[in-house]
Amino acid sequence: MKRILSRLAYRFLLRLHPASFQHDFGDEMLWIFDEQPGGAAYLLFDGAISLLRQRCRLLNDPGQLSITSGVVITDPGMGPLRLFQGGLSSTAILACFLLLLGHRNPLSPSVRWPKQMASCTLKLQSIANIDVDCRTTP
Amino acid sequence: MVSDSGKRPPLSSATLHILLALAGGDLHGYGIIQEVARNSDGHYKLGPGTLYDNLKKLMDAGWVADAPAQRRKSAKEDDRRFYTLTKKGRDTLATEVDRLQSVISEAKFRLQIARPGKA
Repeated sequence: MKRILSRLAYRFLLRLHPASFQHDFGDEMLWIFDEQPGGAAYLLFDGAISLLRQRCRLLNDPGQLSITSGVVITDPGMGPLRLFQGGLSSTAILACFLLLLGHRNPLSPSVRWPKQMASCTLKLQSIANIDVDCRTTP
Repeated sequence: MVSDSGKRPPLSSATLHILLALAGGDLHGYGIIQEVARNSDGHYKLGPGTLYDNLKKLMDAGWVADAPAQRRKSAKEDDRRFYTLTKKGRDTLATEVDRLQSVISEAKFRLQIARPGKA
């Protein structure tokens, strides 16, 4: 399940690459992702860095030559729709990362009381002195 | 031996490793990754993003090219793209190796001078 999710995230990352790069190397990158037995988090990170590099390069040179087809493929550029897509995909990728790393929802309480702990008394003696008395029942 | 890139800055680690891997023969992308890991005893790990980013640059520079189809070993590998080192790429690699050799010689010489009792 984790592998399927990470593959989906990787495919999504590849789709965000410039068209010429995607056209030349997209299939091969996905093939390598499938061939490598583990390290999905590393591959996703590597893909994200590659995306950043390609996008930065594209800013300087919008029309990139596709090596395999020999034609110049011009990318549509970063319009508001693209920026929205980028934000959405970044959030999705981050969620996948957290899922892969096994993180829990950060909003859920991180402290779990043991089952044996039946009663807890909180004595507020002063603002600076709070006495917590926990007793376990047999 | 010296190519047109005499004043070129040193190659990056990824570029050097990719050129070294291809110096041994034509390889596809995954083959390059495996060869780089083998050559560096697993110390240098190349991801597909880094690999193809560098391959694109190397192909644009004319140092690496698509390998001719007849060099492929098996039918299973027919749909894979193989890459080959061009003459220009080989010359660049040779120049870089010469540069590294001079750095190593200089480093050895300095370490010998700095070693107590051997000066």
